[in-house]
Amino acid sequence: MDFLVVLIPLIPLLAAIYIGSDFLFNKNRKGNREAVAALVARSAVSISCVLAITLLVSDLSNNNDGFYHVGQWLGSKNLSIDLLFITSGYSVIVATLFSVILVVVTRFSTFYLFKEPGFIRYLFIFCLFSTGMMLITLSGNAVITFIGWEMAGLCSYFLISFAYDRPVATINATRVFVTNRIGDASFILGIALSFYYLGTTNWLDINDMADLLTTATATVIALSFAGAAFAKSAQLPFSPWLARAMEGPTPSSAVFYGAVMIHSGIFLIILLQPIFEKAPFVMALLVVVGLFTALYSFIIGLTQTDVKSSICFAITGQIGLMVAECGLGFWELASWHLCAHVIVRGYQVLTSPSLVFSVNGNPMRQVSSHLGNKRWLYNISLQRFWLDPIADRTLVRPISGLGKDLDYFDNNFIDRVMGSPASAATAISSLTQLEQKISPSEQNNDLNKLGRGRGFAGKLLEWMAGAMSWFEERLVLRGIGIEMVDIGKQLGHAANTFEKLLLKSRYLVLFVFVVLMIASSI
Amino acid sequence: MSEIDFPLLTLIILLPLLGAIAVGMISNAKQAKIIALSIAGFELLLSLLVLQFFDSRSGDFQLVEQYTWIPLLNIEYLVGVDGISVLFLPLSALLTIVAMLACWNSTQYNPRFHFSLLLALEGITIGVFCALDMMLFFLFWELTLPPLFFLIGLWGIGSQRRSAAMKYTLFMLFGGVPLLLAMIVLATNHAIQVGGSIPYDLSFSFLVLLETPLPDNLQTIVFLLLLFGFAVKAPLVPFHTWLPAAAMEGPTHIVALLMGLKLGIYGILRFAMPLAPVAAVEFVWLVSILGAVTLVYSALIALQQTNLRRLLAYVSISHVGLVIIGLSSFNMQGVQGAIFQMLNFTLIASALILIAGFIQHRLGSTDLIHLGGIAKVMPKLTCFYFLFMLASIGLPGTSGFPAELLMIVGAFMAHSGLGIAALSGAILGAAYMLSYTRRAFLGPIKHNDVWQTQDLQLRELYLLCVPALLVLLFGFFPDMILDVNKAASEVWLSRILFDSP
Repeated sequence: MDFLVVLIPLIPLLAAIYIGSDFLFNKNRKGNREAVAALVARSAVSISCVLAITLLVSDLSNNNDGFYHVGQWLGSKNLSIDLLFITSGYSVIVATLFSVILVVVTRFSTFYLFKEPGFIRYLFIFCLFSTGMMLITLSGNAVITFIGWEMAGLCSYFLISFAYDRPVATINATRVFVTNRIGDASFILGIALSFYYLGTTNWLDINDMADLLTTATATVIALSFAGAAFAKSAQLPFSPWLARAMEGPTPSSAVFYGAVMIHSGIFLIILLQPIFEKAPFVMALLVVVGLFTALYSFIIGLTQTDVKSSICFAITGQIGLMVAECGLGFWELASWHLCAHVIVRGYQVLTSPSLVFSVNGNPMRQVSSHLGNKRWLYNISLQRFWLDPIADRTLVRPISGLGKDLDYFDNNFIDRVMGSPASAATAISSLTQLEQKISPSEQNNDLNKLGRGRGFAGKLLEWMAGAMSWFEERLVLRGIGIEMVDIGKQLGHAANTFEKLLLKSRYLVLFVFVVLMIASSI
Repeated sequence: MSEIDFPLLTLIILLPLLGAIAVGMISNAKQAKIIALSIAGFELLLSLLVLQFFDSRSGDFQLVEQYTWIPLLNIEYLVGVDGISVLFLPLSALLTIVAMLACWNSTQYNPRFHFSLLLALEGITIGVFCALDMMLFFLFWELTLPPLFFLIGLWGIGSQRRSAAMKYTLFMLFGGVPLLLAMIVLATNHAIQVGGSIPYDLSFSFLVLLETPLPDNLQTIVFLLLLFGFAVKAPLVPFHTWLPAAAMEGPTHIVALLMGLKLGIYGILRFAMPLAPVAAVEFVWLVSILGAVTLVYSALIALQQTNLRRLLAYVSISHVGLVIIGLSSFNMQGVQGAIFQMLNFTLIASALILIAGFIQHRLGSTDLIHLGGIAKVMPKLTCFYFLFMLASIGLPGTSGFPAELLMIVGAFMAHSGLGIAALSGAILGAAYMLSYTRRAFLGPIKHNDVWQTQDLQLRELYLLCVPALLVLLFGFFPDMILDVNKAASEVWLSRILFDSP
């Protein structure tokens, strides 16, 4: 039954392609396009779910080989990336669970969002997301997993900016995607490192070879994948993105950040158990990060006043606990914790609007006295540990400032040094400009020729006087005089700007960074 | 299959050039346009025929044609393709068709001359990719200037178009001088090595020069001269300022040709590195630092751009930096990724700038201050924009991803610092593209003009469909591209690595 695994991500993808091309090329704007699209999406996700359950049953009755090799996706000398699926064990269990949740949420959202603006777009993204999640859980190759990983991240971007005419939504979506992109870079780093040290990108081979690795190598590889997992599962220091991500429609919040996507980070850690076990430092890091995230979420969760935010911090808290469990070596517990959390949290987020509806009018609950008495803690909780402003100050603003300075440098320095033909903008267009260019002394040139000599001596004197006067005018007055002052001013101005720039911390950091880069390459 | 008697490559170079003359003579503008388009279509079929005859298992030059041209200096008419260059032929032909369709109605002033120049440019560009004699290459290289000078200067959309055209031409002429010098050094060296006399034993044939030993000190000179000459065209920082100027002033479909056909990197790949392999390995630090600086520098500048055309120019420069990093890693992954990415330029960068052209045509601007909320009124255009934008930042499913992955892996295998630079480029890429997208395409509509615009017409929709489908196809099946250039890349690498100590 192993071949079924190919169809599980493929069918939602086909549905997405159908919905997308129907949107682009079908001129008929009337009719029941929404109903058709909903039917297509629902049946695709359901079929994929049935297939996943079949696969699981077949695996439980020991009929599966453990993996299914479709073919090579990309080959470049010794780098061979295979389309390889895992068909047994924990991956299949998680895939089945996720696909059941996906079916439930698809049904829920076809009712919840029906005929709302952007409904078809929602279904398209949702089908694409199902494909991505199934690739993450079932793929046997790191690169294919990464493909799913990025697809899920992209869909998350599209759903956060679902109401794309609201500026806040789009700002949040961009911020979330770029934050996640840091984790993605870490994932690619992990892929490159495992190829460099192990010569393979297949999960099963990587795990098999874990024993051969030295601790240092295992630490580097595990650290890269842990970075990716932290970003995707909203662990510290990436946690703030989750609160921003709650912008999207409720069903999408449930499936992305409540039940399914948010767990892919922790799933990745569990998948790579052998590598992590070889790296004690990373295990310790998992415990620290997990516990701190749990603590962080708990403290902030105490002061949240809207339902989505409080659930959001409960989610990061629970996942922090899972990460810590992995770090302590309780892999079995973490796996069960993940599955249980998926179900409970999916239900909780889906029902959160009705929850709000039913508690409408209830008096606000007081902040607990433990927190209320400690004003500093209360402040920290309200400000969410200032993580967002800190990231702004240390990363976003310096980088965009650097971009601004470089843009100025490019336009005003490199462009001028490289030279450009005179254009109309810089050419002299009026008499006033011309007169400004000519120095006053030159305008009076004729007036200076007062002395007129006669005879040889007289002519000689006149000529000498003329030469002297020329020297005085051209070299002394013009060279050292007014122009010199101007040039000096410009130089001083430039030096001043340079000095100011040097004092800015971003250049100091950049300088240190460059020195470190050079030092490491020697 | 590889050796056929018919001079296919000559036909493919000459057809557009003759077509250009024919189109120029027809008095009816509409007829001229249709004839130009059909010639371009026929050219595409011919280039696909080349691909059909091409045997990708061999890494040698195929379909080679050799005739004496200037006997006194031993200059030959020598053309041929290998796995590195063969894919550029159909993609250049496709890009020309797309560019023609994009400007079908927007060229009001003297369309005959415009289409004739486009055809001429196509023939010359394909000549650049096929030429295997250094002088023939140089001829085609310099011949790209006159059509582009007129196309930018006469049909530009900015007020400074004349100056931008002049700037472009001067930069390219400036870059041409070191190229010519290096070629003369190479030819003279051949005469000295075989013990013959000048000018009877000069050789400009690339195939002969590859086999001619070159003393180490001359290698350094030749490599640096060629690198400098090609860096201007590529463009690498700090020789890049002509590209943003051209992107702002030139007509968008011409900018698409400028950004899509990366002749400069092709020159480094084809001539600079294999002709002076020892120097290439010795100066790999210089090349890779140039690449890394170009990548990060333009990515940071791109963060600050408010105009889509200018932004895309810097994005294109930044990707050139990445390609250079990939090339200078000197391993299969890096080189194959770099070639892949060069092919991507013809699809992704050019499609994006064409979309910018559609916006410019409708709203008269691509600057943020005049845009906002485009997605609401132009959903189809936004769909295509998103597809190409995501391809440009290397998202999986598009052809940008395998290329970028290969280059990053290649860079890490060569040097970890380079890999970090490549990764930071990937993060910055998402930041600059998405922040422009957010402010231009998403958000509320601020201007009345935007409310009244129309979505893509059928012609525009279909002309974007072809690159879009190819981007997805190569993204899903990257081996289609990699298999073609595999053998040639292996030969290329072995030439560089085995010739050097």
